[in-house]
Amino acid sequence: MRKTQAVLFSLLLLLSFCSQPERQPDEVRVRLAVDPANLNPVNYSELEALQILNLLYNSLLAPDLSYNTLKPSLASTLPEVERTDSLTYFTYQLREEAEWPNGEAVTAADVAFTLKVLKAPYVDNESVKPQVEFIQDIVLYADSPGKFTFVCTGYSPEMELLTGDFFILPSYLLDPEGLLNPLTLQQLSDTVAVAHNNSRIQEFAKRFNTLGSSQSTEQLQGSAGYTLERWAPGQYITLKRKEDWWGTTIGKASEYLTANPARISFQIIPENTTALLALQNRQLDVLDNIPVAEFEQLKQNKTFQQDYALHSPQGYELVYAGINTRQSKLNDRRTRQALAHLFDVGNLIKVTQQSYAIPTVGPVPPDAEEFYHTRLKPYTFDVQQAVALLKSAGWVQSSEGWHRSLNGKREALTLEIIYRAGNTTYEQSALIFQQNAAKAGIPVTVQALESSSLNQRLAAHDFDMFFRAISGNPFVFNFKPLFHTSFAAPGGFNVTGVGTTESDQLLEGINAAETQEEKAQLLKRLQEVLHEEAAFLPLYYRKEKLAVHRRFTNTKISGLRPYYDVSSFLLKK
Amino acid sequence: MASYLLKRILLAIPVLWGIATLIFLLSRLMPGIYGAELLGQSDSGYFGKADANSREKAYRQFLHRTGQDLPLFYFSLSPATEPDTLHLIFPESERLFLKRLSWQYGDWQLVSSFHNSLKYVEQATPVAQRNRLAPYLQTIYQNPTPKGIERAVTALSSLAPNQVAQKSQLQHHTAQLLEGQNPYAYLMPALRWHGTANQYHRWLVGLAQGEFGTSFRLKRPVSAVLFEAVGTTWWLLLISMVVATAIALELSLRMVRRGGHSWRKAVLPSLFLLDSIPLFVLAMLLLVLLASPAFLQLFPVYGMGYFQEAQLTKAQALGQWLQFMALPLLCLVLANLPYLTSQFYHALTDTANQDYIRTARAKGLSESTVIRKHMLRNALLPVITLLSDFLPALVAGAVIIETVFAIPGMGRLLIDSVLARDYPVIMGIVVLVAAFKLLSHLLADLLYATADPRIRHATT
Amino acid sequence: MSRLFHTLRQAWQEFLAFRVALLYLLLLTLLVLVLPWLPLPFHPNELDLEHVFQRPFDWEAYQQGRPFHWLGTDTLGRDVLANTLFGARTAWAISFPVMVLTTLLGVGLGTSAGLYGDKKARMSRGRALMLLLAALVAFYYGIYLPLQLTSLRFDTTAYTYALTLALLLPGILVFGITPLLKRWDFFCEEIALPVDQAVLRLIEMLTSIPRLILILVLASFAPPSLLLLSLLLIFTFWTGIARLARAETLRIRELPYFEAATGIGATQAQLIYRHALPNMLAPILVSSVFGLASLMLLESTLSFLNIGVSTDLASWGRMISGIRSNTSAWWLVAFPGALLSLTVLGLQTLSHYFLKSSRGNTRL
Repeated sequence: MRKTQAVLFSLLLLLSFCSQPERQPDEVRVRLAVDPANLNPVNYSELEALQILNLLYNSLLAPDLSYNTLKPSLASTLPEVERTDSLTYFTYQLREEAEWPNGEAVTAADVAFTLKVLKAPYVDNESVKPQVEFIQDIVLYADSPGKFTFVCTGYSPEMELLTGDFFILPSYLLDPEGLLNPLTLQQLSDTVAVAHNNSRIQEFAKRFNTLGSSQSTEQLQGSAGYTLERWAPGQYITLKRKEDWWGTTIGKASEYLTANPARISFQIIPENTTALLALQNRQLDVLDNIPVAEFEQLKQNKTFQQDYALHSPQGYELVYAGINTRQSKLNDRRTRQALAHLFDVGNLIKVTQQSYAIPTVGPVPPDAEEFYHTRLKPYTFDVQQAVALLKSAGWVQSSEGWHRSLNGKREALTLEIIYRAGNTTYEQSALIFQQNAAKAGIPVTVQALESSSLNQRLAAHDFDMFFRAISGNPFVFNFKPLFHTSFAAPGGFNVTGVGTTESDQLLEGINAAETQEEKAQLLKRLQEVLHEEAAFLPLYYRKEKLAVHRRFTNTKISGLRPYYDVSSFLLKK
Repeated sequence: MASYLLKRILLAIPVLWGIATLIFLLSRLMPGIYGAELLGQSDSGYFGKADANSREKAYRQFLHRTGQDLPLFYFSLSPATEPDTLHLIFPESERLFLKRLSWQYGDWQLVSSFHNSLKYVEQATPVAQRNRLAPYLQTIYQNPTPKGIERAVTALSSLAPNQVAQKSQLQHHTAQLLEGQNPYAYLMPALRWHGTANQYHRWLVGLAQGEFGTSFRLKRPVSAVLFEAVGTTWWLLLISMVVATAIALELSLRMVRRGGHSWRKAVLPSLFLLDSIPLFVLAMLLLVLLASPAFLQLFPVYGMGYFQEAQLTKAQALGQWLQFMALPLLCLVLANLPYLTSQFYHALTDTANQDYIRTARAKGLSESTVIRKHMLRNALLPVITLLSDFLPALVAGAVIIETVFAIPGMGRLLIDSVLARDYPVIMGIVVLVAAFKLLSHLLADLLYATADPRIRHATT
Repeated sequence: MSRLFHTLRQAWQEFLAFRVALLYLLLLTLLVLVLPWLPLPFHPNELDLEHVFQRPFDWEAYQQGRPFHWLGTDTLGRDVLANTLFGARTAWAISFPVMVLTTLLGVGLGTSAGLYGDKKARMSRGRALMLLLAALVAFYYGIYLPLQLTSLRFDTTAYTYALTLALLLPGILVFGITPLLKRWDFFCEEIALPVDQAVLRLIEMLTSIPRLILILVLASFAPPSLLLLSLLLIFTFWTGIARLARAETLRIRELPYFEAATGIGATQAQLIYRHALPNMLAPILVSSVFGLASLMLLESTLSFLNIGVSTDLASWGRMISGIRSNTSAWWLVAFPGALLSLTVLGLQTLSHYFLKSSRGNTRL
C-alpha cells in the first residue's frame, strides 16, 4: 500500500510540473463555444463556422471592422449599379492579383461556377439558396476574364450587400471534371433541363456535399490568406498563414485584407466557466461573449489587466419585445402603449446587462447618428400612465384584474410572454416585466419554449408577447420585411402584425430613396410611427464584452461579428 | 452452453429492437425538425435575406432530400375526416389550422372552400382596414369553434365596406360549413396504409445492414461520428472504472477485516458524504480548486490537448493525454467510488458470515489469507453483474463530465445532437448504449455460468 | 407492520447517526409543511432589483426594521434563504408522490410477475384477444386523441367525448363481446400469459439506457413540464423496486407455509399481503429512499444542463444554475447545495442503518 501511495504522489508531482503547455507567441488562440458541425462554405450552420470560413475564402465584398463599412474584397471596387424597370445590373471587376492556392487567377468563371453551386438541386444549399434567388443570371465578358454582371430581379437596397456576400469557390478544385460547365445558370432552375442533366448534377452534388467535414481538409481551400492545417473535431481547428499570399501585394487594400498571425488556433470549449478559467490561466488569447458579472470582475483584477485588454464595443444586436396586434385584447394601440410604459428599460439594462447596453427608441442603432431619431423619447416606466392608458382604452379594473366587454363578450387582459428556453436574458427580462405588470394589476405568465416550438407559435401568430433579438448592421436599413403588412401572413417576418398605410408607404419610400437626406427623413418618421404603434418595442442594443491579449495590436475591435479581426492581429514590437 | 447462449442472444434482439423503435417513434411524434430553425427566421436581420416563398421551397427541398417528408410508419391511425393530402400543405401553421377545421367540422370539401374564401377576403382588404379586421381573423385562426366563426364572420362582413363579392362568398361558405358540420366526426378513426415508403422502414432496413444513416448536422456517416466519440469516452470510462474498482476493492477489504472497525468508521461516512454531492457540483469544485490560478493550478483546464507542430511520440502523447484527463478521471472515480465500495463491502460481509469462512478462520489461517483467498473469490461473483450494470451507467456521468471539461465524447455528442435534433445521431447513440448494455449482461451471465456449476446445470 | 416498527425502534436505539438523520428529515418535513405560514421577509419569486448578487450576511446592507437578505440574493435579487427553503418544498413535492406511485407500480408489477410466473395466469383466447383490443382502443381514445386535441386546442367537450369512448368501448369489448365469443371453441381454449417474461423484458428495455440519457432524449422532444418530468421519472424508476418485489415473491412462494396456506383456502392476494409484503417492506423502503435521493440529484442536474422544470418554480436546481452567469457567487451553490447534500445524506444514512438493523433482525 505504501508503494501505491508513493506512485500516486509522484504522479501528482509529475503532473504539476508539466501542467502548462508552452506556446509560440505568434499563434493566436481563440475560443469557440461550439464545434462547427461542418465548414462547408455553402452550407455552414453556425456563426463560428462563418468566422473560420472568412479566413479561408473571400467574398466579393467584406465589412472592414475598423470603420464598420463595406469594402471590396475579391472585387477591386464596389459594383456599378444600373437599374431598369424590372431588372437591376451589378457589374463587378475582380482584383487582378487574386489567385487560388495553385497559382491560377480567380476569374469570373469561378463566380459563375459558385452561383451554379448555390442554385443547383441536390446540393446542400438550402440555407443560402433563398438569398440569391433574386440573381437571375450572370453575364461574362470574353475580353475581360475578371469582369462580370449579375442580372437581378427588382431592386432593394440590400441587394448590393447580398451580391457580394457569398464565398467564391475554386472550380478547378471542386469540379475538376467540369460537370457543371455545360449547364447555364438559368437551366438549373428549369425542371426540364435539370431532368436532362440529372445524373451529372447528382454526381457533382454527391461529392460536393461531403465538403466541409473534418475529413475533407484537402479540398477546403480558398483564395483568402489561410489554409486549414488541422482539425481535431471537438478539440481545436488550426489555420496556417499561406506563404506568398496575393493579398500582401495589393497596396492600400491590404489594410483590411490581412493575414498577419502565422497561426490561428480555435479551441473548442463549450462550457463558459471552463473558458473563463482557461483565460485566467493565460491559455487563451481571445475570449468573446464574456458573461457580464465575470467581465465586471475581470475589470477589477489588476494582474489580469496587465496581460489582457478588455473591450466593450456597442453591438448590432437589438433586443426587443413584440406584441401581437392581431389579438383583440391588444389590438388597441393604447393598450400596447400602456404595456410599453411597464417596461423598466433602465433597470432591465442594469440587471440583465449590468449597464453594458444602450437603450434605443427605434430599430435604428443610436450610433447611426444620421438616421437615429434623437428627439423621440422612449417610453418611461410609469404605472400611473399605464393605468390611465388602459382606462382610456376601455378597460375596467376589478379585483381579478382588467376586463372589458367587446361585442357582448367579456374579455380579460392577461398576458403570456414566450421566449427561447435557456436564454437567461429573456428570462430575466420577462420576470422583471411580470413584476412590473403586477403593479398595474395585469396578470402575466412566463413561458420558456424550446426554440422550434417557439418559432412555430410565432409563425402561427399564436402568442401575446415575446422577447427576441434581431441582428443587424450599420450598412443597410431595409425594415420592410419586419414591418410591412405584406409580410404579415402566417410564417412572414412581420410577426407582430404592425403596420398602417403610412408605415407601408414609408418603408417603400426608404428603399427607393435616392439621397441620404430623404432616407434619413423617412426613417425618422418611421421611428415615430413605430413608437406610436408600440407593437415592436425596441429595448436596447447590447454591448459586446471581450478580452484580447495585450501582446497584440491592430485588433480592430468592433460591434460587428465576430467583434474583432483575428487576421489583422500584429505582435507588439 | 451454446444453446443457452443462443437463447440469450435471441431474447436480446427483440429488446434492442423494442427500445430503438420506441425511441424512434417517440422522437418523431413531437414537433420540431432539424433544419427548420436553420432555414427559418431565427436569425432574421434588418432585412429579410429571402422572402417566405423561397424559404418555404428550400425547406421542402431539404425535407425531401433527407426523407423527412415521408410518412412515419407503415400505417397511421387518425380521424377519418383528416384528408391524406394534409402533409403536403405548407406552411405548417396553415396545415395545423386546416387539420383543426377538418377535425371539428368533418367535411374536407366545405373546410377548404371556407378557407379559400377567407383568404380572398383577406387579400382583397386594403391595408388601412386590415388592422381592424385582424382581431376577427385571429379569432378564426386560433379558435375556430362554430360560435367563434359565426361571430367573427358577421363582424368581418359589417367591417369591410367594399369587396362585396368576396364577402358574400365567405358568408355563403361559412353557412355551408356550419350547416354541414358533423361535430363527432373526429371520433371515427381510419386506418391508413403507407407501404414500405416510410421513415421507419428506411431506418430499420439501414440498421439491419449496419447503417446508422448520415448525421444531419455533421454531414458524415453516423457510424464514423460515433466511432470517434466512443474512442474518447471508452478510455475515460475504462480507466476510471478500473481505478475506481481497484480502490473500492482495497477499501472494502480493509473494512471487512477483523480490525477494520476504525477504517469503517472513517471511510463509510465520508463515502456517504461524497455520494451526496451532485456530480456537476463536484466537477465544478475540482475545476475551481485544482485548475484555477486563484487556488492550485495543477492541471490544464479543458479539452484533450492543444495543437502541436511536430508529431508527438507515443509516450509523449500518452503523457499529454493523461495530464488533460487527470481531472475528469478523478471526478468520475470520486463519483463512482461510494456506490462501488458499498456494494463490494456488502458482498464481502455477506460471505464473511458463511460457514466456510468461519471454518477457515477456525483453522487458524491468517486474516489476509482468509480474506483474499476465500472471501474475495466468492464475493466477486455478484460483483460481475454489478460491473456489467455499471459501465453503461457511467455514460450518463460522462454527459456531465464531458460538458464541464470540454471533452469531445459520447456525452457531449448526445447533448449537441439533442439540442440540434439530429435524429440519426441520437438514435445511433441510443442503439449503441442499449446494445452495449445487453452485451455486457450477456457476458456477465456467461461468466456466472462458467463460475457456478449450479447455474450451468440449470440452464442446459 | 409491527416488525417494521420494531426495526425502526431498534435502529433508533442503537445508532446515533440514525437518530440524527431521522430528526433532521422530520424537522425538514415539518418546515416544508409549515413554510407558507412562516414570516419570511421575502417571497421566493420576489425580485429585488436594488440588491442584486448581494453577499450573505452582508452587514453593510443591513438596516434596522427593513427586510434583510440573510443568505444573499441571486442575479435578479431573489432571496437565497426563501428559495432554498421553498426549493426543499418543491423537492419534496416532486419526489414524494413520484416515489409513492413508483413504489406502487413496482410492487404491483413485481409481485404479479413473481406470483403468476409464465404459466399460472391463464385465460381464454377470446378474453385475451378482447383485452388486447380494449387496451389499444383505450390508448387511442384515452391518450392519443386527447393529446392531439390539446395540440389543436379543442375545448373541453371534445375531451369528454373522447374519454367517454375510452371507457365505454373497452367495457363493451370485455364484458359484451367476450361472452359472445364463447360460442366458438377456438376462443374458449385457455392459454397461459407469460407475465413474468413480459415484465422482465420491460425492465430490461427500460434499464438498457441510462436514465439521464433517456430523460435527455425524451425531454428534447417535449418541453419538460413538471407533469412530464414526474411521469418520466415514474416510468423509469419502478424497475428496481419491481425486481426486488419479484425476487421476494419468488422466495416466499417456495416456502412451505405458502403451500399450506393455499391448502386451507387462503387466496394468493391475501397471502401476498400478509406474508410477502411485510418481508419486502424493509428492502423496498430502502430502495425507495435511495430513489428519493437520486430524484433530488437528478432534478438539480437537469437544471444545470439547462433542462430545468420551470422558471416560476423555486427549486434548488434553479438557484444552483445561477452560478453559470457569475462564478464568484458561491452562495448560490453553497446553501442550496449544502441542503441538497445534507438531505440526500440524511436519506442515505437512514436507509443504511435501517437495512443494517433489519438484517440483524432476520438473522436473529
